[in-house]
Amino acid sequence: MIKATRKPLEEISSSVKGYGRILVLGCGGCTSVCLAGGQRESLELADDLAQVARAGGSTQHQSSATVERQCNPVFLAEISGRIADCDCVLSTACGAGVQNLSDAFPALPVFPALDTLFIGVDIDVGLYEERCRHCASCMLAYTGGICPVTRCAKSLFNGPCGGTRVDGGCEVGEGKSCAWLEIHDRLKAQGRLDSILSLRPPMDWVDRGPATLVQVGYEGRYTAAKVAAP
Amino acid sequence: MKTTATKAAPVNAEVLDLVRRRRKLVKLSLGACAHCALCAESCFKYRNSGQDPTYTPSYKAINTIGKIVKRRGRLSPGEYEKVRELAFDKCVLCMRCRCPVGVDLPYLISLARSACREVGIERGYLEGKNA
Repeated sequence: MIKATRKPLEEISSSVKGYGRILVLGCGGCTSVCLAGGQRESLELADDLAQVARAGGSTQHQSSATVERQCNPVFLAEISGRIADCDCVLSTACGAGVQNLSDAFPALPVFPALDTLFIGVDIDVGLYEERCRHCASCMLAYTGGICPVTRCAKSLFNGPCGGTRVDGGCEVGEGKSCAWLEIHDRLKAQGRLDSILSLRPPMDWVDRGPATLVQVGYEGRYTAAKVAAP
Repeated sequence: MKTTATKAAPVNAEVLDLVRRRRKLVKLSLGACAHCALCAESCFKYRNSGQDPTYTPSYKAINTIGKIVKRRGRLSPGEYEKVRELAFDKCVLCMRCRCPVGVDLPYLISLARSACREVGIERGYLEGKNA
């Protein structure tokens, strides 16, 4: 799932400065799972902002609500009543949710309260690690389920650089292990080392702009006029 | 047999507002439900639960927002806890449940979640417990 973390309170309070009625809008999706922007976190943020406002002698009023997923217009309809009663919205969704909210209510200022970080896995409660950089060209079939784009510091495609330490660590340090050593060891254990013997062409990193996905089987449902080609 | 009555919590104003706004829609939707259980087949939670009927999308809608609307939000904390279990634990809101009559089951379940949130109940992600 998408992982995010809350922006510094100073940055958040600065973005909503000057607005009288602020709605802190939580998201029940990914940012709720990573404990950054769910119901509890949106309530906490509203409380924190209230304290900042009180300390600054402001009469700013904060309220909080949470929708199931801010990235789906269906769920945003439920919040339209509350939206009408506020001067701006502080969203604790990911970047996609913030933009969807802005598009749904174009006359309303919408500010992000989170920094969206990565697609990752849950290691433990409150501990997450990046596993996917959504490069649109998945290599995991050849690399033993270990992503070189995400887990190699240089995103190398054809084996390690010269920076692998004797203990198997990466030269960048920070406790990171060499992704290519892990790939090698896993494929060797599976008897599939041949899958990394052939050279892979470099990734096409050309910026393709905002992508649109029409899932296989749904092509007939969306006409060319509705969905622009990616 | 002596029974212990469960004390309903004071009605939350936001829940009451939600019920007022969506009462007709919920009643129409659940009134149209033919109890055919065809929606069950489109729910992966139902299929993976050994076909436990409480995972059937229609069951979840009827016993969450259906109950909330019918009782105008006057549910006891224990009853809200059962609603939470159905709307949060037994549904991931993947929106894939299909009703041949056209009842928007995901939307109904999302309404139940909204009501739960208004009374301070949500899915917990801290060590798997309701936080």
